[in-house]
Amino acid sequence: MSAGHAPLAAVERSARGVSIEAKGLAHRYGTRLALEPQTFELSGGIAAVTGPNGSGKSTLLRILAGLLRPSEGQVRMVVDGRERGAAQRRTVVGLATPELSFYEEMSAFENLEFAAEARGLEAPAAAAREALERIGLAGRAMDRMSALSSGMRQRVRLAFASLGAPPILLLDEPGSHLDDEGRATLERWIALVAPSTLVVLATNDEREWRLAGRRIQLRGRDLGHPA
Amino acid sequence: MILRATLFLWVAATMVAAFVWAPEVPVLGPTTRVLYFHIPSAWITVLALGWSMVHSALYLRTRDLAHDDHAAASAELGLLFCIAATITGSLWARAMWGSYWNWDPRETSIFFLMLIYGAYLALRGSLDDPVRRARLAAIYSCVAFVAVPFLMFVVPRIYFSLHPDPIINARGKVDMDPRIRWMFLSMLLAFTALFFWMLSLRVRLGRFERKREARAVAHAN
Amino acid sequence: MRDDASSSAAAIWAILRKECRSEWRTRYGISAALLFSVTTLTSVSFAVGRLGDRGDILAALLWIVLLFASLAALSHSFVREVEGHTLTLLRMVASPTSIALGKLLFNLLFLGVLELVTVPLFLVLMGAPPPHWGAFLALLGLGSAALAASSTLVGALIAQTRSRGSLFAAVSLPLLLPVLAAAVAGTRAQWSDGSIAAPARMLAAYALAVLAMSLLLYDHLWEE
Repeated sequence: MSAGHAPLAAVERSARGVSIEAKGLAHRYGTRLALEPQTFELSGGIAAVTGPNGSGKSTLLRILAGLLRPSEGQVRMVVDGRERGAAQRRTVVGLATPELSFYEEMSAFENLEFAAEARGLEAPAAAAREALERIGLAGRAMDRMSALSSGMRQRVRLAFASLGAPPILLLDEPGSHLDDEGRATLERWIALVAPSTLVVLATNDEREWRLAGRRIQLRGRDLGHPA
Repeated sequence: MILRATLFLWVAATMVAAFVWAPEVPVLGPTTRVLYFHIPSAWITVLALGWSMVHSALYLRTRDLAHDDHAAASAELGLLFCIAATITGSLWARAMWGSYWNWDPRETSIFFLMLIYGAYLALRGSLDDPVRRARLAAIYSCVAFVAVPFLMFVVPRIYFSLHPDPIINARGKVDMDPRIRWMFLSMLLAFTALFFWMLSLRVRLGRFERKREARAVAHAN
Repeated sequence: MRDDASSSAAAIWAILRKECRSEWRTRYGISAALLFSVTTLTSVSFAVGRLGDRGDILAALLWIVLLFASLAALSHSFVREVEGHTLTLLRMVASPTSIALGKLLFNLLFLGVLELVTVPLFLVLMGAPPPHWGAFLALLGLGSAALAASSTLVGALIAQTRSRGSLFAAVSLPLLLPVLAAAVAGTRAQWSDGSIAAPARMLAAYALAVLAMSLLLYDHLWEE
């Protein structure tokens, strides 16, 4: 059961008719319970999902992104008043998770241009360039991914999530590997998009969840040892 | 209990009658007897495959693992009967035409079915997670379904046939001694009952295995 | 964003371009495949010699070489995605069907390049009689389409298992045998001045059937 959500802060407002509703959402891998049943409703602003390692934060985000079919419960995602089924969520969600990897033999720019083009954005090259600038990677955009450090790769992930300014952002440990400057850029970006975007952060880092107006605490009890 | 005993007696009686009561078909001579084992085995092979494929499709539609139990169990049994059909067919070919294997259309078809079963079971064997295994195996089953009519009917038309069609045409008119016809149908029914009985056992076993695993992990936590 | 159909087309095209670019940058796949093809071919030629008058054996050998080449070559594209962990990226930018079609087109192109090298080499080394080019190329095209359609699906399945290499051949084989049968029959027919109509029809029907069924199934493939 989800517990302990902070009250909605005054500045939050519904963004572009966006909402996520979960009822009894849970997931098992084989017989192992990876996510305890969750019920919540989010509409706009910034929400943080916190909990010990292994409590299912990443699993929850994957389910919300439409990448994973939950073994129990339902989730309903509405954007612009239209419900988005699991197969369509990728068109309205920007996802950044630690498992997101890019093509090593291509540059950051090429990866993002590919992503933008495949998603059907109007001017893919421009969108890619803009995303890279926003995240402070313009200088290294043309280097192959294999040459980038972990901090820079994280920035590429964030740039990927920001492509096309999606109405929903799902960010799993967005600040990992980032230096102070990267973190500042991240916070600026989130603050910038928050009024028009529903942002869900999965994190254990206080610097990140204190940005949120709402907190969903995963307890992670009975799920094995918190690492 | 009674049903099982009945089944046992039925199969036993049919087998004895096959050797003692039914006459021989002119062309085939003593090898007629193989009819009663070879063709029902082949029929079950096809039935089992169909059963497995239907349940695979049902699994994809409903995500109920019970369908996967049926698909897997049916495939295992199907492979068994397929091997039986291939071996009996091969022995018969040796007795009739002097060589164990000729790649004539029927032999080719049964061999293809064996390949499909083998591939399906090999795929299952390489996947550990039950949900992923069920899903991927079901997908393969559905594609294989497309290949089956081509392998069974179209490929034979491409190659020359050695199979004695006029007499052993179970689908068309059977011009033989009524005793043979009775024997044949009797065995066919016996085999079918046998298959479904074995299937029910195997499905139950599969279900117990899944539940036992679930309980074991729940206790561990 | 644009509507569904045109963004699917955009995704398919983007994926195809990405595959070509990746392949070009690493060149690992195509070199290995070409090497394999040529090795198989030269082994056959060395062992069997010139077969100018045996159209039936030539047909069989040609398609066996092509079959082996595709078994060796076409499993790579999905395995690379799994090993590079780029599936998440792909799934977030394109629908499963678009991904599959993009990969399928790439596999077709790949096979085409392989055949461009292998087939002329085969004809020359084996001393084959000149083929009826129209019929011959039609069979090559249809056979390749069928091979690619099956191999793409099986590749996607296998990439998620633990024992990928050996399994690909075993699992593909039942699906590829009809192609082999029809393609050999057709190729043999055109060398004996017969009609390729029946085998060609069968190849086309089979390729379409496999493609249609697999398009229905791709949505289920990567559900986690």
